[in-house]
Amino acid sequence: MSNYFNTLPLREQLNQLGVCDFMDSAEFLDGVNVLKGKKLVIVGCGAQGLNQGLNLRDSGLDVSYALRKEAIEGKRDSWKNATENNFTVGTYEELIPNADVVINLTPDKQHTSVVNAVMPLMKKGATLLYSHGFNIVEEGMQIRKDITVIMVAPKCPGSEVRAEYVRGFGVPTLIAVHPENDPDGKGLAQAKAYCVGTGGHRAGVLKSSFVAEVKSDLMGEQTILCGLLQTGSILSFDKMVEKGIDAGYASKLVQYGVEVITEALKHGGVSGMMDRLSNPAKVKAFEISEELKDIMRPLFQKHQDDIMSGEFSSTMMADWANGDKNLLAWRAETGETAFEKTPAGDVKIAEQEYFDNYTLMVAFVRAGVELAFETMVQAGIKPESAYYESLHETPLIANTIARKKLFEMNRVISDTAEYGCYLFDQACKPLLADFMTKVDTDLVGKNFNEGKDGGVDNRTLIAINEVLRSHQVEVVGAELRKAMTAMKTIKTA
Amino acid sequence: MSKPVVHIANLSLKYQHKPVFQGLNWTINRYEHWLICGTSGSGKTSLAKAIAGLPHSYGNIEIAFNPDSDLPATVHYVANWFQFKDLEGQSNFYYQQRYNKQSAETTATVKAELESFGKKHALQLNEVESILAALGFSELKDSTLIQLSSGEHKKLQLVKALWLKPQLLILDLPYNGLDTLSRKNLNTLLEEVSNAGTQLILISNETELPSCINRNAEIKEGKLVEVSADERSWNEIEVSDKAVPTFLTEAAPTPSYSEIIRMIDVNISYGEKHVLKNINWEVKTGEKWVLQGHNGSGKSTLLSLICGDHPQAYANNFHLFGNKRGSGESIWEIKERIGLISPELHWYFDPSATVWQSIVSGFYDSSGLFCDPGYSKKAQTDELISYFGLDEYKNTLMNELPLGKQRLALLARTIVKNPELLILDEPCQGLDQQQTKHFNRLVDELCKNGTTLIYVGHFESQLPNCIEHRILLENGAVKSVGTTIERFESVENFEYN
Ligand SMILES: NC(=O)c1ccc[n+]([C@@H]2O[C@H](COP(=O)([O-])OP(=O)(O)OC[C@H]3O[C@@H](n4cnc5c(N)ncnc54)[C@H](OP(=O)(O)O)[C@@H]3O)[C@@H](O)[C@H]2O)c1
Repeated sequence: MSNYFNTLPLREQLNQLGVCDFMDSAEFLDGVNVLKGKKLVIVGCGAQGLNQGLNLRDSGLDVSYALRKEAIEGKRDSWKNATENNFTVGTYEELIPNADVVINLTPDKQHTSVVNAVMPLMKKGATLLYSHGFNIVEEGMQIRKDITVIMVAPKCPGSEVRAEYVRGFGVPTLIAVHPENDPDGKGLAQAKAYCVGTGGHRAGVLKSSFVAEVKSDLMGEQTILCGLLQTGSILSFDKMVEKGIDAGYASKLVQYGVEVITEALKHGGVSGMMDRLSNPAKVKAFEISEELKDIMRPLFQKHQDDIMSGEFSSTMMADWANGDKNLLAWRAETGETAFEKTPAGDVKIAEQEYFDNYTLMVAFVRAGVELAFETMVQAGIKPESAYYESLHETPLIANTIARKKLFEMNRVISDTAEYGCYLFDQACKPLLADFMTKVDTDLVGKNFNEGKDGGVDNRTLIAINEVLRSHQVEVVGAELRKAMTAMKTIKTA
Repeated sequence: MSKPVVHIANLSLKYQHKPVFQGLNWTINRYEHWLICGTSGSGKTSLAKAIAGLPHSYGNIEIAFNPDSDLPATVHYVANWFQFKDLEGQSNFYYQQRYNKQSAETTATVKAELESFGKKHALQLNEVESILAALGFSELKDSTLIQLSSGEHKKLQLVKALWLKPQLLILDLPYNGLDTLSRKNLNTLLEEVSNAGTQLILISNETELPSCINRNAEIKEGKLVEVSADERSWNEIEVSDKAVPTFLTEAAPTPSYSEIIRMIDVNISYGEKHVLKNINWEVKTGEKWVLQGHNGSGKSTLLSLICGDHPQAYANNFHLFGNKRGSGESIWEIKERIGLISPELHWYFDPSATVWQSIVSGFYDSSGLFCDPGYSKKAQTDELISYFGLDEYKNTLMNELPLGKQRLALLARTIVKNPELLILDEPCQGLDQQQTKHFNRLVDELCKNGTTLIYVGHFESQLPNCIEHRILLENGAVKSVGTTIERFESVENFEYN
């Protein structure tokens, strides 16, 4: 098997990277009809598997679960999840041969072995569905030509997929059809119906391609979503402790700060987030985020280049083959950081204080979101796709940090994201060493406005606002957010 | 004479920037136990919170605790609302989550919650057992917070307060969601703590009260007026004669099925725990039912099956609206025909929506509004808002309104689409007597046109007149099914064992 993307001529690479169509709700009027009465068999019953299955069944579809023998015999969590919710559970041999659609919701690392086990059992003309395209694009998995291959990728953790559905809403979703496997031309209709079954059609659906989804998803998660949030959190915590700020306070500010700050990002984009600062703090945050962008740009570009060339996935797969040596070592290291080991102090931090005392994180987030977006767009990814994989997902990841810090974030995200996150973090920390020596507690730990009179130069402020608001991520974002207006606010301590 | 326990002089209070009290004076002396009543929105809760010293209230309030008492020198306030968090400090729940087995482990157990409360206040664990037993709570110790019904959450709040025995205890609508026996037992427990030296301020519009209550006051137009015990009865309530909006009284087309619900040996269990046992129940189109049973008898689980909210519906044999459940219908097709209100729905409802959005969302069965409803739905919503007297709150966020007003908005949401089946699970919780009477009359009116009704309510006097059938649950099983003639003979005379 070789990297699918690298087998394509440049023309076709650009073609597939550029598939990006924000779908009108009228495209979903047929509901789930195309899949009504069809047998949907989900392989794997984890975060995505269980929650997508619950939604599909509540939408009137016929859902059952095929689990590996060990999981059934050992009555593992996946088996319990499925049986306690009264789904039919069976082995591959029992369920796959009758399936009209086989949905692969096992961890990405297992996809090759799972698909190799399942494919020979699939009936002629059936459909294989993924929620992430890594296996097809990076591993170049070849699927039997009579089988239709589609993707429906909810851009949220599984628990949200369920919570939003029962509220009567859904989560933003990407759908795609693999151009090498659409023998009967039914792929798109099935993907749309599946998307309705999970509730995704209510929250904004982007028609994408396997290639565009993978290349942008990898880039987003490694750089802004996980990588920079990890680096920024650790550097901020260490700086505060170095400067004598109470460690419990520092731990709380960092743990919950990203969530509070990115909540503003979710509602009003980068400018909405920056608007939460006082004028002088905004000017300062703007200046340092410009500096951060210059420092980190080459690293963002390197990540994008390695993702495009397949270098990233081949290094990671080498680590898989090596028993996850690097991944496990990095994971252990993260668990040992001072931030991770210092419990959040029992202090009350008001919502606005998270902005005023953590201006540095606002600057990190602005720099990271804009850089990730710009780098993706330069590499041929369409702005809408780039938006989903940068700005849109940042608050969701920040929420995992608020829940249980970085270790939790890395547990919830996929192994692929975790691996990329560590790669980024390893390279980014030394890059920021000089910058961090200049940072003091006015940017992190204490109120930036303390002892200042609040005055700024009119023209400077106007110019800064103009730069922030006219950035392409803001223009595209305003449009897409309209479709997801009802995204609920996340409530934390 | 000893110093007054609470002395309030010239207190002014605001709720959401609007004045509720101006220049209030009130003195509470030793051995006095007060009942405070008043219509919803009169300021009962604001006053209680001010005495409890909760944030956002200020004024001149002096509290003189008794230095010779063994009881904690503190004011404890039992709110009319309960709150809990999961183990990660979040309270992002949705009401169907109670029924998901895999969600259970994400919140603390009742036992752990009580242990941490006891530790915080240095209380003896063995002293809580009798309180738990009296409120029928002992068996719930291993349940997790997400699994509790709203009545059970209320009990947990009360258990903590009664265990703490503070010098001053303020209870805000403590009877909400409690079954008849628990109310009786709560009164006995309150009498006990008052004998032991706790002074009570009880906010309630109920009539069955602990015998220790010896002062009564009513809040009326920003004033606290002392009344005698018999003056506080509400018999002569005037109910306004506003015409019901016509779009709600149009007869629905006759459906093709004669039974709305047919359950055959329905069972629900979580592991070893059996919450519904062999339920058989038929509800014919147009019938009006009351569903009764003690707290924890399985009422809300039974209703969750009907509303498409319970995942175990798929393993059971029952028919809804003429279709076998799980035969290809979606939960949205089921919900479309049902107007639902329940304490849980209220508790988990999106608090960041406006009153208007909340009501329109009833057309879509969503918590919050996600699309443009179009002209006629907007017009109908406006008409209903006027009918419920909510015009001035139309654009107010739900979480800025007092409980009673929120509840009115959610009741409007429940009926806005004029559904075939109304499921009203303690619909009038948090309303005052007048509002309750008014709403029940509206229900009678709506039901004239063939609407089917399932109503959960513990008290005969608080039910609509149209009810003609009754089903009584006990410990997850049907205890009796009958018509209303034999209805109240054996109501809930069940004992906790
Ligand atoms: N998590 C997200 O936020 C997210 C978002 C969008 C898309 N996705 C995609 O969704 C897919 C599933 O991810 P997830 O996070 O739901 O995974 P997960 O929670 O780790 O669940 C994986 C499931 O697969 C089973 N499994 C593991 N190894 C297996 C093997 N070798 N053979 C067969 N079954 C195996 C596991 O059960 P047993 O071990 O008991 O067999 C488990 O039920 C991935 O493609 C991922 O990229 C995830």
